[in-house]
Amino acid sequence: MNPGWLLCIAATGMVVGMFSAFRAPRLWLLTSLTGAIAALASAIWILKTGARWDWQSSVAIGGEALHLQLDALSAFFLALLAVLGGVGSLYQRGYWTDKTHPRSAPSGRAWWNAMLLNMGFVLLVANGLHFLIAWELFTVCAYFLITRERQHREVRQAGWLYLAASHAGTLCLFAFFAWLAARTGSWELGPMRDRTELAPLFWLALFGFGLKAGMFPLHIWLPSAHANAPSHVSAILSGVAIKMGIYGLVRFSSWMPVPDAAGWTVATLGVVSAVLGVAFALGQHDLKRLLAYHSVENIGIILIGLGFAMVATAHGNAAWGQLALAGGLLHVWNHGLFKALLFLGAGSVLHTTGTREMSRFGGLWRAMPWTASLFTLGAVAISGLPPLNGFVSEWLVFLGLFDAVSARGPAAWTAVPAAVLLGVTGALALACFVKVCGVVFLGLPRSKVAEQAHECGWTMRLPMLVLGAACVAIGLAPVLFWPAIASASSAWQPLWTDSAPPAPMQTLGAFHITIAALAMLAAIGLWLRVKRNGLSRAVTWDCGYAVPTPRMQYTAGSFAGIITGWFSWILKPKRHQHPVKENFPAHASYEEHTPETVLEHVVEPTGSVVMRISTAVRRLQHGRLQAYILYLLIGLAALALLALMGGAK
Amino acid sequence: MIATFEVLLRLLVWLLLAPLLPGIINKVKAWVAGRRGPPVLQLYFDLAKLWRKGVVLSTAVSPGHIAGVAVAWVSLVCAAMLLPAGPSGAPLAFRGDALLFVYLLALARFCTASAALDTGSAFEGMGAAREVSYAVLGEAAIITALLTLGLQSGSVSLTTMLAPAAGAGAALLAAGLFAVLLAENCRVPFDDPNTHLELTMIHEVMVLDHSGPPLAAILHGASLKLLMFSVLLAEAVLPIGKLSPPAAAAALAGSVLTVTVGIGLVESLLARLAFRRVPLLLTTAFLLCLFALLVAWKGGHL
Amino acid sequence: MTSALNLFIGLAMGVNLVALASSRLPSIIRAAALQGMVLGLLPLLLEEKFHWLVAVVAVGTVAVKGFVIPGLLRRALRVANIDREMQPLLGFIPSLLIGAGATIGAVALGGALPLRPEHAHSLLVPGAFATVVCGFLLLMGRTKAITQVCGYLILENGIYLFGLLLINTTPLIVEAGILLDLTVAVFVIGIIVDRIQREFDTLDTTKLTSLHE
Repeated sequence: MNPGWLLCIAATGMVVGMFSAFRAPRLWLLTSLTGAIAALASAIWILKTGARWDWQSSVAIGGEALHLQLDALSAFFLALLAVLGGVGSLYQRGYWTDKTHPRSAPSGRAWWNAMLLNMGFVLLVANGLHFLIAWELFTVCAYFLITRERQHREVRQAGWLYLAASHAGTLCLFAFFAWLAARTGSWELGPMRDRTELAPLFWLALFGFGLKAGMFPLHIWLPSAHANAPSHVSAILSGVAIKMGIYGLVRFSSWMPVPDAAGWTVATLGVVSAVLGVAFALGQHDLKRLLAYHSVENIGIILIGLGFAMVATAHGNAAWGQLALAGGLLHVWNHGLFKALLFLGAGSVLHTTGTREMSRFGGLWRAMPWTASLFTLGAVAISGLPPLNGFVSEWLVFLGLFDAVSARGPAAWTAVPAAVLLGVTGALALACFVKVCGVVFLGLPRSKVAEQAHECGWTMRLPMLVLGAACVAIGLAPVLFWPAIASASSAWQPLWTDSAPPAPMQTLGAFHITIAALAMLAAIGLWLRVKRNGLSRAVTWDCGYAVPTPRMQYTAGSFAGIITGWFSWILKPKRHQHPVKENFPAHASYEEHTPETVLEHVVEPTGSVVMRISTAVRRLQHGRLQAYILYLLIGLAALALLALMGGAK
Repeated sequence: MIATFEVLLRLLVWLLLAPLLPGIINKVKAWVAGRRGPPVLQLYFDLAKLWRKGVVLSTAVSPGHIAGVAVAWVSLVCAAMLLPAGPSGAPLAFRGDALLFVYLLALARFCTASAALDTGSAFEGMGAAREVSYAVLGEAAIITALLTLGLQSGSVSLTTMLAPAAGAGAALLAAGLFAVLLAENCRVPFDDPNTHLELTMIHEVMVLDHSGPPLAAILHGASLKLLMFSVLLAEAVLPIGKLSPPAAAAALAGSVLTVTVGIGLVESLLARLAFRRVPLLLTTAFLLCLFALLVAWKGGHL
Repeated sequence: MTSALNLFIGLAMGVNLVALASSRLPSIIRAAALQGMVLGLLPLLLEEKFHWLVAVVAVGTVAVKGFVIPGLLRRALRVANIDREMQPLLGFIPSLLIGAGATIGAVALGGALPLRPEHAHSLLVPGAFATVVCGFLLLMGRTKAITQVCGYLILENGIYLFGLLLINTTPLIVEAGILLDLTVAVFVIGIIVDRIQREFDTLDTTKLTSLHE
């Protein structure tokens, strides 16, 4: 058994699953899970040994010999893909069943496997042409998964936006790989750090991969696509698909020379994405859209780590760069795990209530205790709070930034604002997830659908449990995961070969275990004390108001109101209100929603200008043959003139 | 064995000393107002009484309501264990514990704010919203203060960071941290711990529906947080590491007392700010810490 | 010597931010007056040996900027019966953050400029830059005539700080002349404020656009 065979099993499992998706859902589940486990095993193998698996075949696709390789960096992302692919497969058995979605479920399973397979290929191929093919196939598969409910206009629009934006990115990547191939004379990819003339190509890669990763302001496609896709698809899109953009950036910043300003730019974009991503999330009232904006935030945190690692490499491989990179890489895993958990939790809520509107929820913990607790666990993790995994990765990035400041180098000027704004991002994320947990799961039901909610089945609960357990495991024993990060970061920068963690992860883990144990003890102790002293129930104190109703509870919009007010310059919330006028008000209403500012105020105006210009140009194409002959003549004359002028020179 | 005993002893000192501070503040306020005021040990009596009392829970709340209080209290206690207690250092010191300290406070905030939303009360929702929103600015100030201390000492561990004096920017840092202390502990001018008008409160309104032992845990946690911030402020400014142990202990005790009396005086002499002015004051606190950082930065070159 | 000088200039830079953050007219007048007094004392610190002319100018500056001009402004405030709250065009927190950014930027810029060695470690140049920017911020971000005057005063303080660089070469009589001009200007504005108030019943300078014809 070696990684090659394991990968072979994984690919076979996915292909067999793809064909059995229509007729034999059980076989599909079995083969998909087998495939995922085999892929995970191969990734763990590589991460543990730090070895590199390389396979060159004589089979040529598109005139290029197939070349696959799995190094620690690919394996790091492959592990995440395998875990989320596995749990997502199981989840959709309960979530998107043949009974509820007879038309879209079977083909959805097939597209699912196709997407997983192609994402795997993106991670494995070492050839520019094949990379582009796999990238495009994975993008298209994702389109078909996003538009599972094509009958809704909103879904179709989201799908189109995704497809259009993705292709803008792919176009840049096409230019990037084509240029690279033209300069190096081959489509083969590999380390070429010494060829400094290739450095400017990084900007093309940054646009293409950054768009896929959803960094601000290229995130325009992300919120609507992630919100309108089925929840297991949202989970894999948010957890893995946008990480493919990160993989591209990490991969090519390690293989290729980068311009001097690249590190600063990536870090700045990261800071902007982090703060504005969470600000936009606070303004949302749609549960899944809110989670989607948090992906922008977390991509920002990852980019801060990567950006400062690049700055460090440019400044003599300072040791704090490794900390920042380790934090960024670990956050790739962490975000994949807790965001998938949150999306699956949101899916369970959506499954039973049929709505994503947060103002209709409330008190769901009664009906869905499992979902509520697991979602809260994910919320604590994504807010970067100890003792869970989100804190570990943010802590590593913070340590990198603090060391960069202490080093008093030129990096400090960016590290100070980055550290402060990373702290601000954490506090904003906390505010946002207190809002989500409070409004969705706590309090009293605000509507009929929330009252009639019920818990999801075990096929949906088990995946969430697995993800929750992974979040707890990374939080409580981070040092166990260090070898994986170490091999990935030394694959990125061969000089960073320390096998010992640069930060006291073991002590942190021990402290986390202590906190968790003490918290549990204290909770039990307090509960016993309360029981002993006697417990009685009464209505919530509402300042003496006699008949409180659930509608009087604080809503998501009012909870976030203070902070969205600070950011109203960019959020530009739209408000429709009929304020109270008369003494005995009959009608009063207030409605607010936060649109996607970049899309509405930048992309759409630009689009309409382009449209206007192209409409004007279209007048030239009117179908009259006589005029076309005139164009021909003018064209010929112009060419002749050009040739004459050229000849004169 | 001895190590465990030592940790327990420190824990006991922290837990027992904390409720003293609100008592001193109230005494100072009473003294300024010309009243006799409650005894300094009032909070101890209150806590003992609450611990024995029965609990009235809202019909709306989840089991997490009580668990949240416990987790918040534990996270504050764990944060206290990271803070060096004067010359003897902290029971546990490692690289990066300063950030753990900040995030443990955030964990406590998550729990109390969620517990407030748990009751479904609009007032408590208001308080929770204010708490988490203003904490954003407070967090920026604390991280900047930590960056300042880290830059001066070249370390990210509280014990080493707090050992040297704050240097030239000490006054700026102290002013910034004092403002953060007032905001994080819900004192005047950010919040009024004495008011009972739900509409205008932050912290007190979040705990309206708690009673009995959980309320005792909340009150004790709040006093512990106040003590932690006072100690942090005192140690950030004082050169604890340079003094002999008895002198350091005396200096620490003296300055914590000064801070406490200062809070009392501020509460007596200032009125509570209008809510729309709160962010401005917190931004000022952040800028004070930022300028302290700048002074520390320039100080290395002059 | 340098540290005392830097302390004073640092104080003046802090006062800039106080002026940007103050929401009431009396407090912004107080800030401008305090800054004027702090900066008025600087010539005494800059000169190695005591010179009676320098002392006279310092005392004059402190008196005019600290007492005469604020007195005139307060009188205008009282006479015209103006609403003391101001409505900023640029919010207090944004102006405070921009002002702080400008201050840090000025310090960074001061480190990068090729200054003469005796000025390299003093905050004179950064302080002057920061004060000028904050003065402009006040002029651009506030609407009332009185705040415009205060912004102008702070701007002038910044220029005065630049002038201190050349204290050995500029005749002090020029300083005295500037001071006199300033007083007259504020005096005239005090009268104008009164007239605007009577004519338009407001001191909002944005309303003055209706005068363009």
